[in-house]
Amino acid sequence: MRSITSRLVVGTSIVLTVFVILVGLSVSYSVHQRAETARLDRLQGLIYGILGATDIDNDATLSVNTLALPDPMLSQSTAGLYAELVGSDGRKLWQSTSTTSWIPNITVRPIGDWLFETAENNGTSPLHRLQLATAWEFANGEEFPFIVHVVSEADSLARQLKRFDQTLWASLLGSAIALLVVQLVVLRYTLKPLHNIGEEVADIERGYRDSLSEHVPAELRSLTMGLNALLGAERERHSQYRHLLDDLAHSLKTPLSVLQNLGKPDQAERDTILEQTRLMRQSIERHTQRVTIRSPRYLAPVINVLPVIERTCSTLNKLYESRAVQFNLEGVNAEFTVRMDEADLFEVVGNILENACKYGSQTIWVFTDIESNTLIFEDDGPGFPDIDLSQLSQRGVRADSQTQGSGMGLAAVQQLMGAYGGQLIPNHRSQGGTHIALVFLQ
Amino acid sequence: MRALIIEDDETLRAQLVAALRDQGFAIDETGDGDEGLYLATNMPLDIAIVDLGLPGKDGLSIIRSLRKQDKSYPVLVLTARDRWQDKVDGLEAGADDYLTKPFHLEELQARMRALLRRTGGWTESVLHFERMNIDTRAQQVSVDGKSIELTAFEYRVLLYLATQGGKVISKSTLLDHLYDEATDRDPNVLEVFIRRLRQKLDADKTLKPIETLRGRGYRLSLTRLSDSDTTSSA
Repeated sequence: MRSITSRLVVGTSIVLTVFVILVGLSVSYSVHQRAETARLDRLQGLIYGILGATDIDNDATLSVNTLALPDPMLSQSTAGLYAELVGSDGRKLWQSTSTTSWIPNITVRPIGDWLFETAENNGTSPLHRLQLATAWEFANGEEFPFIVHVVSEADSLARQLKRFDQTLWASLLGSAIALLVVQLVVLRYTLKPLHNIGEEVADIERGYRDSLSEHVPAELRSLTMGLNALLGAERERHSQYRHLLDDLAHSLKTPLSVLQNLGKPDQAERDTILEQTRLMRQSIERHTQRVTIRSPRYLAPVINVLPVIERTCSTLNKLYESRAVQFNLEGVNAEFTVRMDEADLFEVVGNILENACKYGSQTIWVFTDIESNTLIFEDDGPGFPDIDLSQLSQRGVRADSQTQGSGMGLAAVQQLMGAYGGQLIPNHRSQGGTHIALVFLQ
Repeated sequence: MRALIIEDDETLRAQLVAALRDQGFAIDETGDGDEGLYLATNMPLDIAIVDLGLPGKDGLSIIRSLRKQDKSYPVLVLTARDRWQDKVDGLEAGADDYLTKPFHLEELQARMRALLRRTGGWTESVLHFERMNIDTRAQQVSVDGKSIELTAFEYRVLLYLATQGGKVISKSTLLDHLYDEATDRDPNVLEVFIRRLRQKLDADKTLKPIETLRGRGYRLSLTRLSDSDTTSSA
């Protein structure tokens, strides 16, 4: 699914593009229209100016005072602005000095009529021309009809308009890009609290924090408070389940103890009682473990492994004092941490180390490999029997039948590891003894 | 030996009391944590069995209080809490052993014997002395390889003296450790038992196992053999 940022950027880009195109087109259109109107006005002004500089004698001789012409371009050759006065019979009466090139023929029109048109110019830039059919009225009432004809090359205006269009589109594009960049910056600033919440949720998943920070914008406060409340309630619920089942297990274990110790050891009924109480005890243990195994991983904190191992070893030294087992923890990196409930880590470490003590090891080594996130236990005891080692982590399969235990030790450890996405790999130690690797989720 | 049982389940406590009395222990008992701490602090105990979940003061607090008061007799935690973290917490608080319910009485008794032996510096279940052996598991005594028949009380007297490492034990201390509070104590009866014990262990009067120090008490005068001595001699 697209991120909010990309949605906003795509949406804004589309809106901005449409806006820029519409603005560009409308501005360009209105400027073009304005230019056309201005050109017509200018040509009209020229015609009026030429008429002002024109004089006709009583003998119908037409003269134009070139010094009074309205635009000096009419006196410069190839300036692109031409004018002529043409008689009603088509005879040229006057021509501006700028007129050196071809001028399209005029079209005779009724007096007082204006004609504006764009004419082709032998394949070069088109010409705009305006002509006015007018008549000079003499004192005796006679009229002298003639046509004022001005022509301007469209090229320079077209160039100006093209330049304007280029400038217009470039500045609009630049503004659009600048706007997008500003929008991205604003978006980044606005969405930063959401990004922070995302990172905090990831930290909770990784076990680096317990709850979301409450220093968030007012709009997000109810969200973070709600999530924190949800997390707290989930933890509480999980803890309650665990305690309830623990309490139930504890309350059953005391009567089980009484039942188990009923009767004399040599009575036949006692075997039945012992067998039945053993089954009940296994059932209690299995169901207690299920609660742990179903617990959500994200609720587990990150804990340092070394103190747990040290405390367990110290406990085992007390419990197995007569065996004088040596625990070598030099290979344990003090920085090694795992994502696991502390009680479960004690369970994992305690089960493995106690097995090693029970089965007659003299020295037990513990190592860590931070790169592969692995905790390794080795001992110099009798080692695993010659069976398929993958069976050892199955419930009820035991490495030894001489020592007390229910056969759930390694299976319980394997299940606990599995619940946290980890793995237990049993192996033979090359110099004799066992090698157990606990691979934790990275 | 005098043991304290702090267990709030009455049926189980009664079962424990009966079984341990059968084994020759003088028993003090309670189901309440506060009373348990009082008994544990004020009674001349050799061992205590403590449940963790108790009304009043909890088991871990009782053990911590005892160790703070320099009470050094062994404490065995007997609890339904079977998680390793609880075990670690219990032993760090000052307990010496940890047994989880449901349990076999035989295992509890074996662990109690082991703890009591450990207190006296013994590692094996048979205590070896010059010419005399005490098998704590079978509760049997032999002199020069010949089994000696002792009554339960005679065995308790001998075992207590044997585990005290040659220390002089006053008559009142001996009575304190052999009888619980509910039993009438008569020092004259103790003298009679000591005399009979001497007769049974030393019929030809060559061993002289128990020495009387006038006005001070009794002492086991036999030389203790270490486990390695007995292994090499075997």
